[in-house]
Amino acid sequence: MRSRRLLFVFLLAWLPGAMAQYKTALPGYHYEFPRDHYNHEDFQTEWWYTTGNLVAADGRHYGYELTFFRQGVDRDPSKTGSWDIQDFYLAHLALSDLDGGRFYHAERTNRAGPGLAGIDGKEKRIWNGNWEIRWNAEEEALNAVGENVLLQFSLHSEKPPVIHGENGVSQKAAGAGRASHYISFTRLSTKGTISLAGKSVGVHGTSWMDHEFFTHSLGAEQVGWDWMSVQLEDDTELMLYQFRRKDGSTDPFSSGTYVNAQGKPVHLTAEDFQLVPTGETWTSGVTGANYPVAWSMEIPKLGLKLRATTRLKSQELASGNNIAPSYWEGAIAIAGTRGGASVQGAGYLEMTGYARTMEMGR
Amino acid sequence: MPRWKLFYRVMMRPLFREPVRLGLMVLAVGLGVAVVLAIELAGNAAAGSFHSSMESLAGDNDLEVVAWGGVPEALMGTLATLPYPLRISPRMEDFAVDTRTRETVPLIGLDLIAEGSRYASETDASNVNSKYKATLEKSVRDLENPESVWISASLGKRTGERISLLINDRVLDCVVRGVFPSTSGNEHAILMDIAGAQRALNRFGRVDRILIKLPANSTVEDWQKKLSSVLPPGVEVRLEGTGTEENRKMLAAFRWNLRLLSYIALVVGAFLIYSTISVSVVRRRSEIGIVRALGAERRDVLAAFLGEAACLGLAGALMGLPLGRIMAGGAVKLMAATVESLYVSSRPGAIALTPYSLALALLIGVGMAVVSALSPAREAMQVSPVDAMAQGRREYVARAHKGRDLAIAAVLAGLAALAAQMPAFRGKPFFGYLAAVLLIAAAAYAMPALVNFISRTAAGVLGKLFGVEAMLASRSLAASLRRTSVLVGALATAVAMMVSVGIMVGSFRQTVVSWMNHQLPADLYLRPAGNAASDRHPTISMELVETIAKLPGVAAVDRLRAYEISYDGMPATLASADLRVLRAYRESDFFSGRPTGEVLAELRGKNNIIVSEPFTYKHKVNTGDTITLSLGEARASFQIVDIYYDYASERGYILMDRDVLLKYLPDETPTNLAVFLVPDAKVAEVRKAIQEVAAGHRILIFSDRDLRTEAVRIFDRTFAITYALEAVAVVVGVMGIAGALIALVIDRRRELGLLRFLGASSGQIRKMILVEAGLLGLLANLAGFVLGYFLSLILVFVINKQSFGWTIRFHWPVAVLLGALTVVYAATLVSGLYPAWVAVRLNPLEVIHEE
Repeated sequence: MRSRRLLFVFLLAWLPGAMAQYKTALPGYHYEFPRDHYNHEDFQTEWWYTTGNLVAADGRHYGYELTFFRQGVDRDPSKTGSWDIQDFYLAHLALSDLDGGRFYHAERTNRAGPGLAGIDGKEKRIWNGNWEIRWNAEEEALNAVGENVLLQFSLHSEKPPVIHGENGVSQKAAGAGRASHYISFTRLSTKGTISLAGKSVGVHGTSWMDHEFFTHSLGAEQVGWDWMSVQLEDDTELMLYQFRRKDGSTDPFSSGTYVNAQGKPVHLTAEDFQLVPTGETWTSGVTGANYPVAWSMEIPKLGLKLRATTRLKSQELASGNNIAPSYWEGAIAIAGTRGGASVQGAGYLEMTGYARTMEMGR
Repeated sequence: MPRWKLFYRVMMRPLFREPVRLGLMVLAVGLGVAVVLAIELAGNAAAGSFHSSMESLAGDNDLEVVAWGGVPEALMGTLATLPYPLRISPRMEDFAVDTRTRETVPLIGLDLIAEGSRYASETDASNVNSKYKATLEKSVRDLENPESVWISASLGKRTGERISLLINDRVLDCVVRGVFPSTSGNEHAILMDIAGAQRALNRFGRVDRILIKLPANSTVEDWQKKLSSVLPPGVEVRLEGTGTEENRKMLAAFRWNLRLLSYIALVVGAFLIYSTISVSVVRRRSEIGIVRALGAERRDVLAAFLGEAACLGLAGALMGLPLGRIMAGGAVKLMAATVESLYVSSRPGAIALTPYSLALALLIGVGMAVVSALSPAREAMQVSPVDAMAQGRREYVARAHKGRDLAIAAVLAGLAALAAQMPAFRGKPFFGYLAAVLLIAAAAYAMPALVNFISRTAAGVLGKLFGVEAMLASRSLAASLRRTSVLVGALATAVAMMVSVGIMVGSFRQTVVSWMNHQLPADLYLRPAGNAASDRHPTISMELVETIAKLPGVAAVDRLRAYEISYDGMPATLASADLRVLRAYRESDFFSGRPTGEVLAELRGKNNIIVSEPFTYKHKVNTGDTITLSLGEARASFQIVDIYYDYASERGYILMDRDVLLKYLPDETPTNLAVFLVPDAKVAEVRKAIQEVAAGHRILIFSDRDLRTEAVRIFDRTFAITYALEAVAVVVGVMGIAGALIALVIDRRRELGLLRFLGASSGQIRKMILVEAGLLGLLANLAGFVLGYFLSLILVFVINKQSFGWTIRFHWPVAVLLGALTVVYAATLVSGLYPAWVAVRLNPLEVIHEE
């Protein structure tokens, strides 16, 4: 369950009837890997979303995000021209120099065109221009070239993929099909190189990858969400998301997943956890949005009490155009207790719906 | 006495005493300056702006990837996924005709998804927020629709309005989805999404250009190499805008020649300044003597005369500036038409009067005046106070030099003949022009001898024919030989230019007409509607071609396909034709003189080509040479098996078999059709049948005769500006004659007064002046005609050949020449009317009294 969804909701809004051309995420979906790591063009929206916390040899900390989106536009079979638009392909790249206080981000939009962007299961490749994910056996390569930034990572999954939700669907709102198929690699050991403004450093760390596909829109009451991935040093992981409603309350369709050290997922419903801002905020100079950049979470049935803070408050992806919304997505540090014992970790936090540009139709 | 006062008294006051003559002088200089300026301004406007909408919409890119016939679009993927921080933008580039205004407008297809809404709805920037959703909705849904266009504000349509566009042979009723502010000047442009553009143009699989923006601070050459290494051999990576530069280069010769032609009027003006100052020097000998006796230095005298010339030049230049600006308005239309029909698509830009053009006008006006005054002013400097008393001696000296001048003339003519043999220098016929200048100089030196000989011989004849007045007139001309020669020289130069250009154009026209008789063997010719231009190749739909081929009465259809390419840094046209059809009918002229069938048989199915004469000239290739052509992504070698005469375009042509070209560029749509009828079919009926089946298409149908008429019309339009330039030169020359005659009359007041005193009637005086005018005109026409003939040889066989590479067969355009010479002659006679009127009005008593 990820952020750029508001964007897609936005795009969906003007394609009435478009949903009829697509399948919706329904319970009982039969997952099959590696097939399901690639494209599902029967679903309108799909994304591959990798984030990670890295550390360089000199001890400097970095966070990164590389995201590929596909948004179905038209499934008219008569459109066979190479430039005809079946889907939009969007991609976001962000690099947080957590100790240097620098935040770099870039975005791009393409159509498939003659090889400009796409997902190719045979070539085991997901790409948008020269940003790509490429699988080679168990190794996953992430490469992205930006104007001042270069990422070259090799990822290796320590655990099998996790399917979130219940019965293969992650329900987002009331009603059949208002859900997604949501798969995660929750612990990807990562090594590689980062170049920032021409300077290369070797890095290693842990990444998290989400892959989600669905055809639906948000509920009318849902104005934004806060999402968090947590990787604890005891080899367990946690994912939580929480919808904010117009009236300021949290949505009952908020949920999460806990993954134990053996890789077994446990579904968490809205009643199972509490996720609340601790009061510390950061105001964006670009969008004016006021983000709660520190959170506390409590999951009584797991005995977990955690606090999330960030080394770098300015991790907002302020959209350079009017199409994509602005949101905050950044590396966080986790500290807390499990059943009284101290536990540390790292993760990624996403907050949407705070910037004015997220308000649609205005 | 302050120098300026001296200057004013000796120089300016006499001038102001003769306002008509002064006016004519200034006008002559003014016209010369105006013409040069007009051609300069019009040239900048007409030639400077081609493709500039494409360039201005190309953005800030560094490199472009191009291939003849289009870049395979899969290379977009190759380039976009390279691990380099490059910005890659594809372009479809073609033309559409706004059916309302009939203007041809660049049509640009770009990836509106990737390049964003930079162009669309920019004019609504203020209310983007409120309207954004609506705009985006529409934009995206209609993006790939070939009926969706974004247009420049200059096209005068608003968002939501419809615009009807002729693209290839079809009219598309488009909807304006957005308006963007016009780029530099008033450049029109129509944007489409690349998907829509491909559909509208019916061209798929290839893009016309891929633009590349490099990272800051990188070496362009390194990137060029790096990128070339990942691209197929036929695909070229070059600096963005190279095509525009090549077009500029191609136009350089055309502009250069036109510019030189514009200097003719200036040369004629220079003769006049020279003549006027010479006359001044002779007439003011006594004043000069007095001034010198009063203590003025020689250099004061020199400065005074040069100052006089400079004032004339300055006044002329100031007059020439606005006049030139006005003339440029007319010239730019003529030039733009020529540029478009002979070279490249262009929409004339605005005429801009820059500080440079201002400086140019002043420089050539004053410069020309001062330079032409140099020799007479030096002569004035030589006048000693004593000499000044002895009137008439200078004329004697001039007469004494006739023989020496004739010898100089012979040497100059010899040099001219030598220069005419020299090859072009850096693609420009410098030596040809040198030969022309030498020849004119030779004529100027030979003039005194000619004038002396003819007027003396004519004296007796004229006396018998027209009476004693005529005899007096011709004697008087011979007596003031120096002045007369310069005058005749000036007008003769103008006439010679007119004659030579007349012969050149006439020969060219005749050559083209007879060539076309061979070239047009088919019965009907078809091309998409819209203005023709030599670099635009709109196509005819295949289904129409097939329908036409099946019509009753049609024996065969010859499909021609042309591509705009670049060969060896110069624009050229690559064409293919159905050689089966050609072989059966076409009769063509080849350098080898072989029969057409034999030559074309060598092309069939092989990598053999024939090229046009201008192509061989531009690229220094010959029959038997092998040239390498990039076709699509491939590079292939082709042998030139023959060269054919071609006068249709100045750009080089390469022709190959249709099947061979299709192997490399598999786009079957033709750009032209030649329809051959069965022997007993009626042309009018088949034409009607074609019109019926082509109802949904916009095509033009020409019979061979239509095409010839059209070609001659284009030809004449092309040379209209040449005629206009000559006319101005002749006007300047005739004005010079009038001015000089006035000077003669005033100079000979005493003589004329005496004649009246001795009983000559005013009619006799008038007759005398008119005979002088007539004699001057006759001399100038005669000398000009002879000089013109020789100049035309240089123009036809040296300058034209070296500039454009056309073989022109010499032809006398008798009617044109006779007409032009008669007009000039009549004009000189008319120009004598005012001086004659002045002479008649002289009061004999007063004149004699002055003595």
